Amino acid sequence: MDDYANPLLHRLKWAYLLLVVLTLMSPVFYVMYISFNQNGFGANEYVFTLEWYGLIFSDKLLMGALGWTMALSVTTTLIAVPMALLAAKYYKAAQNKLLPVFLMLAPLFVAPDILGSALLVFFKNLNGTMVTLGDALGTGLFDGWFDLGFATSLVGLIIYTIPYSFVVILITMGRYRSEQTEAARACGANGWRAFWDIEFPQIRAGIFSAAAFTVILCFNEYTRTSLLKGGFDTFTTVLVSQMLNTGMSEQSYAMSSFVSFIAIAVIGGIIVYTLVRAEILSKEARAKSAPVMST
Amino acid sequence: MAPHTPRRADGPPVGTHRASMMDRLSKGVFYLPIVFMMLFFALPMALTVVFSVFERTMFWMEPGFTLFAYENFIFSARLTNFLSSMYYSLISVAICFVLGFPIAVFLRKSVPQVAQHRVVLLFILPFMVSEIIRVFALRPVLQRNGLVNTTLQNLGLIDEPITALLYTHTGVIIGEVMSFLPFIVFSGFLAMEAVPKYIFEVCDDLGAGPVRRFVDVILPLAAPGIFAGCVFIFVNGLGVALLPNILGGAGAVNAGLIATQAIAALDFPLAMAVSAIMMTTLMTLLYIGHRLFDLTKILSPIN
Repeated sequence: MDDYANPLLHRLKWAYLLLVVLTLMSPVFYVMYISFNQNGFGANEYVFTLEWYGLIFSDKLLMGALGWTMALSVTTTLIAVPMALLAAKYYKAAQNKLLPVFLMLAPLFVAPDILGSALLVFFKNLNGTMVTLGDALGTGLFDGWFDLGFATSLVGLIIYTIPYSFVVILITMGRYRSEQTEAARACGANGWRAFWDIEFPQIRAGIFSAAAFTVILCFNEYTRTSLLKGGFDTFTTVLVSQMLNTGMSEQSYAMSSFVSFIAIAVIGGIIVYTLVRAEILSKEARAKSAPVMST
Repeated sequence: MAPHTPRRADGPPVGTHRASMMDRLSKGVFYLPIVFMMLFFALPMALTVVFSVFERTMFWMEPGFTLFAYENFIFSARLTNFLSSMYYSLISVAICFVLGFPIAVFLRKSVPQVAQHRVVLLFILPFMVSEIIRVFALRPVLQRNGLVNTTLQNLGLIDEPITALLYTHTGVIIGEVMSFLPFIVFSGFLAMEAVPKYIFEVCDDLGAGPVRRFVDVILPLAAPGIFAGCVFIFVNGLGVALLPNILGGAGAVNAGLIATQAIAALDFPLAMAVSAIMMTTLMTLLYIGHRLFDLTKILSPIN
């Protein structure tokens, strides 16, 4: 039956959709609620406080981890997003799309623990091979190239985030007409200028969304990073080790909520920006298409 | 990447030797992501098979050929756990499909096109919060004195708290559904692009009921996306160690947990054997899916 012939059914479907979103978000909202309670989880009396949040910022270990997380997120974004863009352009032009699709999307289907374990053993073996090679050549030049640390975590995060960026950029590129690039090239523009002056302004929103998405994904990632990070700590590894060692303390609730607030603010900001921008563009389009009234 | 030789509209190719070299270089740049993914994704995953037959040493492993890791996996409780985690993953897939796919159909069928992508963004929102946090956050929701039990008791629906919600297989399934449900909405949404809106009207005109319409029309057309979404949930249900670790009881063990436990025990060949089995499972599923439905069609709406 047509939804518009039965408005009640239509509203019920909307209600179901929103209920599912709310249910998916409910654990996070509940943790946020607990994080503001002076008496913590399960207490009979709810007393509002910001004390637990204050404790996060006085925790030097956590602040150090936050620094590492930021560094990883920014570096991953600077590498993964341009790579995803290149991959998307390669995919658009490729005759055989199976290989790029497989390589770019397959990491989505590999569970984090499996990918993390595979990369951990791969890097440790690679490191051993490099040391053996160095020994054979009588040099220590190759030692420690693939020691677990920032670089290996970075590789893990790039593999994790690149499929998301690839899809987001590809969706944006779907609206771009390649004839415009061809026209620019025919006018004598080189590949870079045709991209930068013609294509980039039209896919900019997708690239920035992919960047924001990547930062958030890196900020939230735990499994691969914990296996590949070596000696330093990230925000989530500190959070999880505290949760596993001492259980969910009031500070853990505050830390979880803090990360969630940042993520929701960023994605919420993107949604609001997209809506406002779409509204402005549609107003402009309406104004341009309106007939000029002669006086 | 298809090369673009700079041309003037009315003449031969423009450019010096330097320009053509730059063009060749810039063409090479487009292969970077492919090379990177080959080196750091495809190769390590393929090498899991090789490392899985290495011999275990005290703290590491050494080259050799032994199937001990596979024996260790097959002739122990690990295989039973793996198979039972397959069973519970299938249940999660079914629940996610039943709950999530109708949303994708509703979005495509009944929501105006301009609003569709914005509504999909709502389902990205849970992903913006760390999976760790979401899974940990389920504990206070599902535990004895948690949100669910308190609410049900306050509503007078139950007298005693339900204890089966946490530290059981049910807890793991709830966690999987809460973690992966949006993926069936995303893949279903992409898949429904292959089902034109007029199909619904034609079905209505021909008097086909919702079940007939779903089985005979929507399912065959949207099959690649549905399959991809289901494989994603199934494989992650098998491989995300966090879920059984945090929400499951003593018997809740999946492949991811077996691999991480093996690494913690410094049994690297076993971890690699589990990874290789997971990769084989995934590749087999994707191969079957590709043969049956041509999975590249999933991205055809954005080509």
